[in-house]
Amino acid sequence: MIRTVLAGLRPTTVPGLRWSSRVTAGALALVAAAGMFSVLATASGLADLLGNGDDTVLLVTLGGLAGLASSIGFTRIRSAQRIRDADVLGGVTLCLLILIVMVGALHLLIGTTGSFVDALADATAGLTTTALGVLSPDAGDHAGRFLRAGSQWIGGFGGLMVAVAILPFFGAEREFADRSRLGGRRPLAPNRRTAVRNIVYLHGVVSVGTWVGFTLAGLGAFDALMVAMATVSTGGMVDGDPFASPAVQYVAIIGMAVTGTSLVVLWRLVVGRSRGLLRSVELRVYLGLLVSGTALFLLWTGGSGPDGIRRAAFTVTAAVTTTGFPSAPSGTWAAAAPVLLLGLVSIGPMTGSTGGGFQIMRHRALLQIALREMVRQLHPRVVSRVRLGGRVVAESTLSQIVVVQFLVVSVVFATATVVAAMGLDLATALGVAVHAISTGGPVRALDGALLDPTDWSAPVRLAILPAMVIGRLSIYPVMVAASSTVSVVRHRVRLRRRIRAYRGRTR
Amino acid sequence: MTYRRSGPRDRTARQRDRVRSTTAHVTGLALMFISVGMLLSAVVEYVDGTSGTALLLATVVTAVLGTMLWRSTRPGVLDHATIFTAVGTTWLVASAFGALPYLFAGTFAVAGRPWAVVLADALFESISGYSCTGSTVFGGHNLIGDQGSGVLLYRQLTQWAGGMGIVVLVVTVLPSLRASGLGLIDAEAPGMGVDRLAPRVRDTATRFWKLYAGLTALIAVGLLAAGMGPFDAIAHSLTTASTGGFSTRDASIGHWDSLGVELVLVVAMVLGAANFTLHWRSLSLKRVVHFRDHEFRGYLAILGLGTLLVTGMLTMDGMGIGRALRMAVFNVVTLGTSSGFGNATGAESSGDFVRWAAGPQMILLFLMVFGGCTGSTAGGVKVMRLRVGMADAYRTLRAFRRPRALYPVWQGARTVPEAIVARIAGFMVVYGMLVVVGTMVVTALGTDLVTAVGGVIGALGNMGPALGEVGPTDSFVDGFSTPARMVLAVLMLVGRLEIFPMLLMLVAPYRSLRGAGRGGRS
Repeated sequence: MIRTVLAGLRPTTVPGLRWSSRVTAGALALVAAAGMFSVLATASGLADLLGNGDDTVLLVTLGGLAGLASSIGFTRIRSAQRIRDADVLGGVTLCLLILIVMVGALHLLIGTTGSFVDALADATAGLTTTALGVLSPDAGDHAGRFLRAGSQWIGGFGGLMVAVAILPFFGAEREFADRSRLGGRRPLAPNRRTAVRNIVYLHGVVSVGTWVGFTLAGLGAFDALMVAMATVSTGGMVDGDPFASPAVQYVAIIGMAVTGTSLVVLWRLVVGRSRGLLRSVELRVYLGLLVSGTALFLLWTGGSGPDGIRRAAFTVTAAVTTTGFPSAPSGTWAAAAPVLLLGLVSIGPMTGSTGGGFQIMRHRALLQIALREMVRQLHPRVVSRVRLGGRVVAESTLSQIVVVQFLVVSVVFATATVVAAMGLDLATALGVAVHAISTGGPVRALDGALLDPTDWSAPVRLAILPAMVIGRLSIYPVMVAASSTVSVVRHRVRLRRRIRAYRGRTR
Repeated sequence: MTYRRSGPRDRTARQRDRVRSTTAHVTGLALMFISVGMLLSAVVEYVDGTSGTALLLATVVTAVLGTMLWRSTRPGVLDHATIFTAVGTTWLVASAFGALPYLFAGTFAVAGRPWAVVLADALFESISGYSCTGSTVFGGHNLIGDQGSGVLLYRQLTQWAGGMGIVVLVVTVLPSLRASGLGLIDAEAPGMGVDRLAPRVRDTATRFWKLYAGLTALIAVGLLAAGMGPFDAIAHSLTTASTGGFSTRDASIGHWDSLGVELVLVVAMVLGAANFTLHWRSLSLKRVVHFRDHEFRGYLAILGLGTLLVTGMLTMDGMGIGRALRMAVFNVVTLGTSSGFGNATGAESSGDFVRWAAGPQMILLFLMVFGGCTGSTAGGVKVMRLRVGMADAYRTLRAFRRPRALYPVWQGARTVPEAIVARIAGFMVVYGMLVVVGTMVVTALGTDLVTAVGGVIGALGNMGPALGEVGPTDSFVDGFSTPARMVLAVLMLVGRLEIFPMLLMLVAPYRSLRGAGRGGRS
C-alpha cells in the first residue's frame, strides 16, 4: 500500500516547494492511517446494522470524514525529491501508532470500554495481532466486535506488507523475498507494486476461504467472519468460545497452518510452481514443528485418542503460528508443556507469513552462523558462506539477523524487567515479554492455566504495548524510527554544545 | 658389568619411544597438579584430627595415573583441533578425578541413595568447583558444616585451581609447548583472547599465576582483618579471587552477618572479575590504569546501575534504605561477577534474593548473563561482548539511515576488526542457543521454567545460585533431578571453557579414527 501511495505521488515542479523526506514520509503515514481508519470505521458501522445499528451513524460519519481527510491530504502532499529508506521505515511505524490511537479512540466513542488504557491496549493488541486483548464486547455489539476483528485483519495485512513488500526492498533480509524472474518464473515480489498486488490477492483468497470453512463448520456467517479474520491475521482475539465444536477446531487448525505458511509457498501453489515445494527446508521444518510439537505436547499433557490429538494440534498450531487462540488445559500438564508452547511461540512460523515470532528462516540462519563459527574456530582463515534455500546469504543480511536476535533478547529482557517491577511474578513476566514481542498469546501459568490480561494492572498493560509494536513491525522500522528520533532530538537540542556554551558564559 | 651413564642422546631416544599425544601429556600433568591440592587437603585433615585416608587415597590414585600418563607420552602436533581436544579433555578428566575425594570419603553416600546418584553428585560438586560455578549439592541432610576441614579446603582449592585455569598452570611448567601454549591458554581463558604479559608464553602464564596468588593472599588478609577466622579467611580468599563462590558454611557469607566481611568481599570480587592484564599494568606502572579501560568502566557502570535499580525496588517493597543498599550491593556484585556467594542469614532473610519481588530478580538474571570482564576469572558473556554487540546493533540501525556509509565498531579510541565482531556475534548466537536448548532439556526433565532458566544461565555463566527453587543457600538436589543436574554440569564446563573447546573436543579423535579407518596417517 505504501508503494501504491508512493507511486501515486507526483513531485511538484517547483523545487522550492518540495517537502523534506521526513515530512513527506510523516504526511504519508498520516494519510495512510486515516485511509485505513476510514475503511475500518465505515465497515464497522455497516456491520452494526446487523445488530441494533445504534453506532452506525457515528461510525460511518467518522469513516467518511477520515476518508475525505485522507483524500484531501493525499492530494496536498508535496513529495520530496527522494524519500530516504529510514524515513519510509519511520513512516510505517508512525502509521501504525496513529492507527492505534485512532482505533482506541473509536472504542471509547462507541462505548466498548470507558477506560482509555483498555481501549489503547486492545487497539494495540488488535493491530499488532497479539492475542492479549483486554476487551470483551457483548455478542450483540456488532460494531465493537467487527472493529476488533477488522483491526486484527488490517494488522495481519500490514505485517505481511512490512515483511514482504517493504523491508526486503530496503535492505533487510532481501534474499528471503521471492524476486527472481529467472527461468520464466512469476515471483511473488518482483517489485514493490506487484508485491502489494499479489499480497492483497493472496490474503483476500485465504480470508474468504477460511470464512467459508468456518461457515460450513457450523458457525453463523458473522461469527465465522470474525473468527476467520482473527485466524488469517494470526490475531487470535475472539469473543466467547467459538471452538467448542470439533469441526470448527479442525477448520481453525487448517486455517492457522495455511496462514503460518510463507506467502511464497502459497504463491507458488497458486501459479502452478508447486514442483519441488517440499524440498524447501523451511517448509519441512515448519511442518515438522507442527507434528513434533503436537506429539511432545500430547506426551507432556497426557492426552490420547482423536480428541486429545485434535486439542493438542489446535494448541500447538495456535502457538507455532502465533495466533494464540485460547484453549483451556485438560488434565495435568508437565512442567515442560507450557515451556514448549513458549518456545514454539518464540520460534514462530515461516518467514513471509502473517505470523510473528523470530521465524524459522532466521532461526536457520542463526544455526548456520553457529555452525560456521565452530568451523572458524578450527580453521580461522577459512572463507565460508552461509546458504539458505540454495542461495548464498550476504554477510550484511547475516549481520542483520544477529542484530535482530540481539534486539529481540534486549526487548524481552527490558519488557520482562519493567512488568516484573510492576508486580508480575517472574514466570509470568518472562511469558508476557516473549508473547508480546512474538505477537502471540495467550500467556499461561506454569501449570498451563490461561492468564487473563484484565487481571494485570493498567501500567503493566501499557508497558507491554511497545514490545507488541516492535514485534509486529519486525523490529527494524521501530528501531530505525527510534534512533532517527533520538538523532533529530540530539541534533536539535545540542545539549553538549549548550552545556559548553553555558559553562563559557558562567566563567 | 658395565654401567653406562645416560646422556642427552639416550634421553632423546627414550622420549622418542613415548606415545605422541598432546592431550594425554597435558592431562597427565594436570592430574599431577590437582593431586597436590588433594595432598594439601589430606594434610589439613590430619592436622585437624580427623582421618584423611580418603583424601590421601584420592591423591595417590590421581598422582599415579597422572604420572603414568605424563611419563608415557610426549607433546605432538598442536593444531586448533588438538588444542580444543587437549583443553576439553583435561578439564573433563580433571573434573572426573576431582570427584574421587568425595567418593572415597563417602561425602554424598546418604543411606538409601543409589550409587549412581552418589556418583552424579560427586561429579557435580567437582565440576562445579573446577568450573568456578559454585552450585552445590550439599544441604538438607548433608550439611557443609558436617564435613571435615580437609574436604572443605579441597572444595575451595578446586575453585582456586579452576579460576586461573588448570591448563595455564600446565603451560607454566611445560617448556616443550613453546608458543603453542598460547593457543592452549587462549582456548581455556575467559574472554576474547589473551594479552601477552611477557614475550614468552611461559612467562605470561607464570605472571598470571603470580598475580592470582598475590590477589588471593591480599583477600585473605582483608578477610582476617574483617573478623573471619584464619581457616575461613584463607578458604574464602581462594574462592573469591577465582569468583567461584564456594563457602565453608551452609549459610555462606550470611553466617558472619558482617558488613566488614561483605565489603572486603565486594571489593575483592570486583577485582577478581576485572581484566588481570589491567592489574599487571597497574602494578608494573605503579599507578591505577583500570579507569582508562572502557570495558572496566562499562562493567562498573553496569554494577552501579544494577545496584541503584535493585536498591530502589527493594525500598519500594518496604525494605529499609540502608538494608536494601547493603543487600543490593552484595548480591548485584556477587552475581555480576559470577561469584555466587550468599549473604542470606536464613531461608526467609532479606538476603535471600529468590524471596525478593520479580523486578530485582530480573535485574539479577541480566547480570548473571553478562558476568565480568574479559581476561578475568569471571564467567558469563562478558562486558566487552555486550559492548561490541550493542555497537554492532547501533551501526546496523544507522546503516538504514545512510546505506552507503561505513560504520566501524569502536571500543574507546580503537576500531574492532570485523573478524572479531563476527566472532563475537557467532559466540552470542551459540550462547543464546545453548540457553534455549538447555532450558528446554532441563524443563523436560521436570524442572519449572524459572528454576530451569536460572539454572541454565547460572551454569553456563558459572554463576552458582539460580532463581526459583535454587536460591543462594539452597541445594541443587532440591531444585533439579539427577539427569537435570548432569545437564547443568555439562553446561558448567561448556561455559567455563567459553563454549567451543567442549563442543569441538571430539574433532581431533574423530579425525584420527577416520584417518586410521582409511589406512591414512593418524
